[in-house]
Amino acid sequence: MSNPDSVPDLTPPNSKPDPEHQKPFSTNEIDEEDDDGDDENDVEDDEEDEDENDGVSGGPNRPKPHSRETRFRSEKLKMDSLLQRMKTGPVSVRIHDVIIKGNTKTKDHIIEAETEVLNNVGSMQELLKASQIVNLRLQALEIFDSVKITLDSGPPELPGTANVIIEVVETTRPLSGQIGAYTKAEARSSTVEGSLKYKNLFGYGDLWDGSLAYGYDHSAELSAGVFLPRFKGLVTPVTARAYLLSQDWLQFSSYKERSMGLSLGLFSNQHHEVTYNLAWRTLTDPSQMSSRSVRRQLGHNLLSSLKYTFKFDRRNSSMRPTRGYAFVSSTQLGGLVPDSRSLRFLRQEFDLRYAIPLGFYHAALNFGFSGGVVFPWGNGFSSKPPSLPERFFLGGNVSPVCALGGPTTLWGFKTRGLGPTEPKRRVNNENTDPSGVDFLGGDLAVTALADLSFDLPFRWFREKGIHAHVFACAGNVTKLTEFEYRNFSVQKLVESLRSSVGVGLVVPTSLFRMELNYCYILKKFDHDRAKSGAWLTFSAAT
Amino acid sequence: MEQVGERESEEFTLIARKPYFDLPTACPVCLPLFIYLKLAHFPFRLSFNSIFPDSDQIPYVESGTYVAYNNENGGVIERLKQDGIVDLDSEFHSVPDWVAMKAMISSWLADAMMYELWVGSDGKSACKIYYSDISWPIGKVLFLKQVYSVKQRLGITKDNAEQREHEIYKRAKIAYGALSTRLGDQNFLFDDRPSSLDATFLGHVLVTLHALPETSVLRSKLLEHNNIVRYADKLKMELIESSSSSSGPQIHSVPSSSTPKRGPSNWSSKPKSKPKREKTEEEKKFKRRAKYFLAAQLLAVLLFLSVMGGSDADDMELDDEDEGIVYG
Repeated sequence: MSNPDSVPDLTPPNSKPDPEHQKPFSTNEIDEEDDDGDDENDVEDDEEDEDENDGVSGGPNRPKPHSRETRFRSEKLKMDSLLQRMKTGPVSVRIHDVIIKGNTKTKDHIIEAETEVLNNVGSMQELLKASQIVNLRLQALEIFDSVKITLDSGPPELPGTANVIIEVVETTRPLSGQIGAYTKAEARSSTVEGSLKYKNLFGYGDLWDGSLAYGYDHSAELSAGVFLPRFKGLVTPVTARAYLLSQDWLQFSSYKERSMGLSLGLFSNQHHEVTYNLAWRTLTDPSQMSSRSVRRQLGHNLLSSLKYTFKFDRRNSSMRPTRGYAFVSSTQLGGLVPDSRSLRFLRQEFDLRYAIPLGFYHAALNFGFSGGVVFPWGNGFSSKPPSLPERFFLGGNVSPVCALGGPTTLWGFKTRGLGPTEPKRRVNNENTDPSGVDFLGGDLAVTALADLSFDLPFRWFREKGIHAHVFACAGNVTKLTEFEYRNFSVQKLVESLRSSVGVGLVVPTSLFRMELNYCYILKKFDHDRAKSGAWLTFSAAT
Repeated sequence: MEQVGERESEEFTLIARKPYFDLPTACPVCLPLFIYLKLAHFPFRLSFNSIFPDSDQIPYVESGTYVAYNNENGGVIERLKQDGIVDLDSEFHSVPDWVAMKAMISSWLADAMMYELWVGSDGKSACKIYYSDISWPIGKVLFLKQVYSVKQRLGITKDNAEQREHEIYKRAKIAYGALSTRLGDQNFLFDDRPSSLDATFLGHVLVTLHALPETSVLRSKLLEHNNIVRYADKLKMELIESSSSSSGPQIHSVPSSSTPKRGPSNWSSKPKSKPKREKTEEEKKFKRRAKYFLAAQLLAVLLFLSVMGGSDADDMELDDEDEGIVYG
């Protein structure tokens, strides 16, 4: 509370309100304990405001110390009566002005853009809700140390109005670092990432970050990016990321992939996402052991592609879904430059999940079905195979329950562990080693899973969230291009489905979900890398 | 599920860089191997990889799971000899002349070709051979990288560029002279029988004659030896043009752009080489004169400013006095 002896100057009515009669209501302290003093939770009634203002404008009133208690009691009465009115019905109010304070670096329009929801407020209840939303949105920008929203009465000549005062404290330490574990949909495996972030370099709410990530599938990525919440009037935030990515597939497919490029997030909201990717990709084989098909793919390529992802996730949890359904579809079109020498392909994948609660032991039945297809387009597309990194590969150490996005993994099968293979190069006239094959991936992939999860009857496990599950899955990857589609039939696809069943223990932690499973392979082919036995999978939170 | 490799026969396939300039493959590293296999009447298919210009694995020969890469065991020709697949040199290894000529071709002539393709000419031929099937930005970066790498390998710096160029051309000239003498009127270089030496030399000659621009210094030096030109034309007709009509379909791994053709019979040498040299001397004169002219201009401007600047100051003083008179 300000100094009671301060004299209010001859100021216009709707500028800084009279300090003596400023009785702010803070939205970010509605549910918190009030330890700042008695004046923070007072709410001014609009109708009574006029009378009080009249009383003040004549001259300074200097209340004596002993009348502070009486004032406090009258304020409390006002608050109670307002709350009573709010309980019975809407208390009409509209916003007169939004005042932003405390931003020295941040541009006003960035903050104002987040307060648009206040414009349509018609009642006190809506105002409280809207203020809460604005507070959360401003905090989500990550550039402020604290956000305080104060509701104040409007100018006295306009009854039924309120002013919203937003006080922000810009972050004093713009540079921050963090280390985390993620599962990126494209990387198809868990990655550990260390990043440095610099907040609000130019005052546009821009977040700059540089990061170094290492993935379980022998991938390393160095990238730098910027996130702009408002870029020239665009509705959604824009991100731009320059990256240098290196992935080592020598063990599985005898090639190494290096990509250098730029990725732009053009549109992103809860359900839709559009990104553009421009990259220079090089495939090499330093081991000089690759098979014929891989040898044909080695070289440099320009990738210019647009990807649209539609995501609808109504499940109650992505780590342990027990109710709801989800659908993800992503379409990627490559070859968006007029140059016919760039990579031209169309890749479509989808994933459908459904979780049914069973009512006992917190049990739930999870079903999933996913599929994907990729094919090149342009001149001579029927005889050309798609580029190796665009193909579908099944297998890995991520749990299929958590890997939402497309056909990626099956329990019991190693990374890139199933699908079309080709023998590697033979040296020194040795007999062909059965394990000396390259996994080439396929143009069409399907997977299906069924998972029954339930709590264990021990309280300690339940408290930690540790539960058990029984699962079954099946999947297949096949080639369609290079005229193979002539030999394709659904019957053949189904007949050659690989499948596995198993049982396991699921340990969810704050960083990732760990599964300790015993898998039994029901069907596999000779060259598939799968084994029946104990498996450990890690799935980071998406 | 499917074992793609097993269905293939034991047929050999040569993977080389793309054809251009009326040659089955225009790359000076790949063409000798092609010619070697043709000289040995070894049946093979030809396939191309046009997206990996900076790979030292290309050219390579494969058959089923057997592969002979260019960067292993001294090259594909050596590897094929060691594995007993193709060997034309069985009697020549001990002939000292043969070994010496081989060393000369693979050092002096190879250096001269590398220099001429990437540094000496304007690089257009190299771009057509290596980068015509790669997207432009990538091709440009790879070209600049390659030019830098060639200069490193040949030890060319800004200071010694001219001297190195002179040295490279001189050695090439000596090599051509020696090979021309060795060849004489024969059909092949040694014992009137083909060997890998013929393949390597012929590859170099064909690329020099067909792929390098007409202003090329190396090309003009080669054209001074008529017997080499005749030898190249004759063998080209026998091995390449006659076989292209009879051989089976060639597999292209990446669709290649159209290949322009150059007339083989009209070789012109002298007038094109001289103007280039004169130009460089003229250019130097012109540059010197331009420098003098610029210096004179600058001097004139400075003089003007200093002289006129002084007279302006005088004028201003007069004005002040005038003003003083008016208001005083």
